[in-house]
Amino acid sequence: MTLNIHWRLDPAAEPQRLEPAARPPLPALVRDCRAPSQNRFDYYLQVADAVAQTAFDGLLIRHHIEADESRIIAAVVARAVPRLVVVPEFPASVGSAVYAAKQAATFQRGTHGRLGWALAPDADRDEREAAADFIDEEDLGLRADEFLTVARGVHGERPFTFQGRHFEVLNGGFEAPLNQHPFPRIFLQGEEDEALAQSARHADVHLFRPAPADVLAERIARLNGLAEAEGRRVAAGLIQPLVAREDRESAERAARSVPLAAGTLVASYDGAAELLANAVAAGVSELVLEAAPTLEEAYRIGQHVLPRLRARAGSARQAA
Amino acid sequence: MSIDFYWRLPTHGCHNSLRTSGYERGDWSPLQPGNIAPGLDRDGAVDGFTYIDHLGAIARAAESVGFQGGLIPSFPNTDDPWVISSLLARETSSFRFMIAFQPGFGNPVHIARMAASLQRATGGRLLFNIITGGGGPAQLWWGDSFAHDDRYGRTSEFLDIFRGVWESSDFSYDGRFYQLRKGGLPALFRREEFPEIWFSGSSDAALQTAARHADYYLSWLEPFDQLGDKFARVKERTAALGGEQKCAVRVDLVARPTEEEAWADIRAGFENVGEETRQRWRGQATDSVGAARQAALRPSDARRYDELIVAPNLWGGFNLLRGGPALGIVGSYEQCAAQLDDLIARGADAFILAGTPHLEEAYRVGEEVLPLLGRQVSALQAAAE
Repeated sequence: MTLNIHWRLDPAAEPQRLEPAARPPLPALVRDCRAPSQNRFDYYLQVADAVAQTAFDGLLIRHHIEADESRIIAAVVARAVPRLVVVPEFPASVGSAVYAAKQAATFQRGTHGRLGWALAPDADRDEREAAADFIDEEDLGLRADEFLTVARGVHGERPFTFQGRHFEVLNGGFEAPLNQHPFPRIFLQGEEDEALAQSARHADVHLFRPAPADVLAERIARLNGLAEAEGRRVAAGLIQPLVAREDRESAERAARSVPLAAGTLVASYDGAAELLANAVAAGVSELVLEAAPTLEEAYRIGQHVLPRLRARAGSARQAA
Repeated sequence: MSIDFYWRLPTHGCHNSLRTSGYERGDWSPLQPGNIAPGLDRDGAVDGFTYIDHLGAIARAAESVGFQGGLIPSFPNTDDPWVISSLLARETSSFRFMIAFQPGFGNPVHIARMAASLQRATGGRLLFNIITGGGGPAQLWWGDSFAHDDRYGRTSEFLDIFRGVWESSDFSYDGRFYQLRKGGLPALFRREEFPEIWFSGSSDAALQTAARHADYYLSWLEPFDQLGDKFARVKERTAALGGEQKCAVRVDLVARPTEEEAWADIRAGFENVGEETRQRWRGQATDSVGAARQAALRPSDARRYDELIVAPNLWGGFNLLRGGPALGIVGSYEQCAAQLDDLIARGADAFILAGTPHLEEAYRVGEEVLPLLGRQVSALQAAAE
């Protein structure tokens, strides 16, 4: 089992960085020669560069309605930064599943197949209606199901015909050369049984929230059981926010000064590597790490935690 | 008066010349030695370039010779214009990306967010060719089951919301096809300029929607009198609604140092067209009015290239040589410039030009034809009055 380690970019994080309209002024003493052509995408590229250079395998880009659209960021980043798998997160409410699949095909063609798709959790009713998305609560799961069925269907089959509640296609399906790269790997998330069942049907990776290793192992066993019943295999992933420093005291001190996401791992580099290795031992093969500020922490985690984690995970695999 | 000139990015591969039917650029035909993007290296292995690399080369050529940007068409077997624009955003500097888009394919608020993000990524170089026409089985291929007249209603509502969330943080809408409660793009996005809308479609429903939403009314090339009338009608109708409509033409050129050389290329291309291609054009069904107007030219029945010369320097068989409209301009550099001047005198405010191969012809048209423009416009306008 290969361990893939991704970094997560929240395009709304560090909102003043390279945001021309939010740029903090410099005192008159400092001659300001920042180029007006710089923009927010320069920051996303710096993060992606950091992530690639510190040997992460991929970059997940969060869906954030107040920030730049994740698939646009993904394409800009993938064109400029080599090797990284890029996984934009977006909701199933974006529109036509055929169109989304077609965009994915061009993305794959232009980047040698480095695209993944993460489906974002559904927004609440107010947020949906503000986004011209009027749909019954109980239909959300079905729509996501149909979205993924249609997208994968038109990518891989021709002719593809589908008549659902939310999507309809007649004699669809891509021809060569659009169908010559694999469909993007699908990342889904959620702790509830419904989410696990949906992953069993559609996901390549199911992303869990942080939990103790034994709890994770239990959830992964449940996911595997559901996937097997569908005749599929789904890799287990973990989204893990973390604050890691040279020693535990420094990490705790750093953690006191920032609001922490639930389940944030606060540890020394060695401690973080050990806890993550435990998750890997419990069956996790896709790690999605995040910390703020996004750029500096990508360097820190990439340089200090990843080598330790890979060494441990590697020797654990050899022992097994 | 100044006129906007755009080029076109071929999103279905490109031919080495109008004389060949295979796609030697891109991967729409089987890879052979000499193919470009992707190509084969000296050991015969695929070289790692992708078609997007070639599109980047065309975009940089076009911006370097004075084209504002390029139309990026979208059909079932083309690459996608949103992704092309995002991939090329940072390796072009002034090239404006004209995305061909059918409103039914996306949620309007999400599309507005994508558009604003692209404006931010490119420094405001995005614009749209909004497409509603076409229909029948082709529309269901895309997963879109709307009937013809409904599609214009939907397009109109889509654009209402697109603009509404761009201009307000507290926008609500209650339409037939879309509803929205208290929506709006984040403040940072609303600073971006709203993208120009170019609108296509020849039916009455299309003209009405264009009058409401379009900055430019875009037409394929038609016989000049017919096109001049159409432009006059569009401008009149919009003026009656209190607006102003600019008009644009999309046209292919074969521009050569002499007229003989230009027709020689057309003739060679025509004589290489196989019966299979003619059959395909005969059988094509669509409910689009624009496509039907072009089909009335019947190029698939012609036996000689010169049967398709519909007026001096105007040839009606381009659709046999490559995908797209039938009518195009053929001539010396001076003649091509004179034809474009004539169109300007008849009300064209902007052009989307193209030639095959798109990379080399961007340079040729940019360097040889654009500099000759404008010499005859005022004389022609005076003569018309």
